Amino acid sequence: MAPSNLSHRQTHNLLLISKLLSLRDTASPLTLLLDSLEQPATPLVKEYIRRARLSKIHVTLVAFETLKPFDGVDVFVSARRKTPADIVKEVSAAYTPGSSDNLNRRRLILIDSINPLLRSTHLDKSFDLSTFLSSFIVPGGTPTSKVDSSVVVTFHQDVPGRCAQSPYVPSPLTILTYLATTVIKLHSFSHILTQKAARDRSLVPPVFGIEEEKDGVLLGRLDKPVGKDTVEGVVLEMEYRRKSGRGVLEWYLLPPASRYPATHVREIVTLLDDHPLYRPPEEHNARGEEEEPESTFELRLTERQRREREGVVLPYFDAQQGDGPGEGGRILYDMGEEDDFDEEEDEI
Amino acid sequence: MPSQLALPHLLIPYVSSPPQSSLTVLSSVLGATGNWLVLRFLYAALGTSAASNGEPMVRGHEAGRKSRVVLVSFLQGWEFWRLEAKRLGLDLARLTETQQFAFVDGLSELFSSPTAPAQPSPTLYQYPEAGTAPRTTLPIRSQRSPLAPGPAGLRQPIPVSTTSDGSPHKSAREAGPVKRLHLPVDGVAALDLFEREITAVINRLKSSPGGDGNESEVLLVVDQPDLLLAATGPSRCIGATEIGEWIMGLQQAATATVATVSADSPLIHNASVYAHQAATPLETEHAAFAVELAHRADMVMQLRNLETGAARDVSGVLRVSKGGAWGRRESAGVEESWEEKEVLYFVQRDGGVIVFGRGE
Repeated sequence: MAPSNLSHRQTHNLLLISKLLSLRDTASPLTLLLDSLEQPATPLVKEYIRRARLSKIHVTLVAFETLKPFDGVDVFVSARRKTPADIVKEVSAAYTPGSSDNLNRRRLILIDSINPLLRSTHLDKSFDLSTFLSSFIVPGGTPTSKVDSSVVVTFHQDVPGRCAQSPYVPSPLTILTYLATTVIKLHSFSHILTQKAARDRSLVPPVFGIEEEKDGVLLGRLDKPVGKDTVEGVVLEMEYRRKSGRGVLEWYLLPPASRYPATHVREIVTLLDDHPLYRPPEEHNARGEEEEPESTFELRLTERQRREREGVVLPYFDAQQGDGPGEGGRILYDMGEEDDFDEEEDEI
Repeated sequence: MPSQLALPHLLIPYVSSPPQSSLTVLSSVLGATGNWLVLRFLYAALGTSAASNGEPMVRGHEAGRKSRVVLVSFLQGWEFWRLEAKRLGLDLARLTETQQFAFVDGLSELFSSPTAPAQPSPTLYQYPEAGTAPRTTLPIRSQRSPLAPGPAGLRQPIPVSTTSDGSPHKSAREAGPVKRLHLPVDGVAALDLFEREITAVINRLKSSPGGDGNESEVLLVVDQPDLLLAATGPSRCIGATEIGEWIMGLQQAATATVATVSADSPLIHNASVYAHQAATPLETEHAAFAVELAHRADMVMQLRNLETGAARDVSGVLRVSKGGAWGRRESAGVEESWEEKEVLYFVQRDGGVIVFGRGE
């Protein structure tokens, strides 16, 4: 039962992540990437762009902190010193559907970091985060020119927010996580492995970078030596909210981009549980317990022997039919083809 | 000249020729200041063109190309940098004359309005630490009044008493070695003004003759811009976002940018999302600024004290890490061959620096 459950989870959740990353069927209109200095979102954002290029999706990058556009970005909108309304206007003007071809009605809008906007002191009181984000997804244009837009917003978790203007207003992160249809939290694979190793030995899992609270330490991550490059990769902790409201939680592993060519079509993301370093293969131990002691005799049954043995009706079943005393309980034996007939013994 | 190499071998891949349009963040704490590392950046960019120093250096793919430096300093004045660079063998005054270096002073007259009646001040700027190794002390501004008597002379270079070093006394406003920044108004307008002024300096250096016809590369070093944040703060409409955007604007003008920030524990961790306590606006803004800057950086060089306490032959620990923006550019993997590293360093009395790995 357990293995089939796992394999079902595997297929289902792998299909889900592939749908989410490839932006199929607008599975998630608003995706929130929560990253930190320990694991920036850059590899995942690049993966989004790579897949968007493969399926010819129009990519817009709204840059609050990027100076030069990434490769593969169709439109680069610098958001420096612009009001939110201007940004929305510029983004919606950047893409006119139907101009090139009718098939291409999908677009991906990447916001490289929402923090500067949320922290800006120049926001007027009327700024509303949910209105801002939804104006990307549902532009005010005519309904005929409907475009399937997906917005991917990166939020740096380790940047402290502004002091709350009013104690009754939820923090921007709360609003973002509430609005998002998918929340992906990024972790460094080597950190996850270190923390798991500590937990397996019932130790307090270590923390890295700013969390260490060491004087002068902003970043804790250090390259692993070349020999251990297998721990490269990004762990994605995904929460997908279905339309029904039910959430799907899963942990994935995104391998480093150098491991596969840019035109690779097959799914490269795997479940974290499937990674040999995270969950070492247990078959070796599990089989070892079940195995019977070895001997020179063959003690095991073949499949056929087992079936026939199960088919034997034991005498007491016959006795329970209650045909009266003396009746039943006889040994009824059906001869197999390999049995020799012995007149003296087998005479009934 | 220091006895050992001015640029330690271990540092060469990190400080020489930062890639195009990259941002390098240099974080320091009070007990391990980053002035020596800033000087190494200056040396790596200017050292080859300084004729006095015939030592050939590994400059990567840009060998032979001239690079120029604009240094914007908010915590140290011109005299400090001039003296410290001299100990490395860099004559900043001469390099200024040849338009290879420009200094923008964000400290001396930041808060004195240029139109205010200035009192002639007979005394000179004093930099108490100028004679010693760049250590922990903050600059003590004993005299903050403007120097020159009239508004016309306000942008003149600092009248240094020892003029024998050749620091030019030109009255030309823009060509002087020192450009002073003033903070006349609140809010973004002041930052815009700074951006225009610094960009003008960068462009002047870019287009100045001496190159091979092409525009020269200009390395911009912004030293401790967090002073602006501390001195103004969100109540004067300058917050972490505004300073961050200001630096982005400067980045666009320069070829590569180095910015230094303080990363002392109270400034970073009190407001951290992992600490559960109320933080002051300064703590919040500073932490946000420093962390966001690290998110935008290609390389983060962190200086900190030795965990095991003070030692006689170790000044601190230098950790070089990949910043949040590392790998954004497609060619990054080809060009950048450096790897993350943690080394110890020791600033000697004569200003020389030894960099070594643990246990070496």
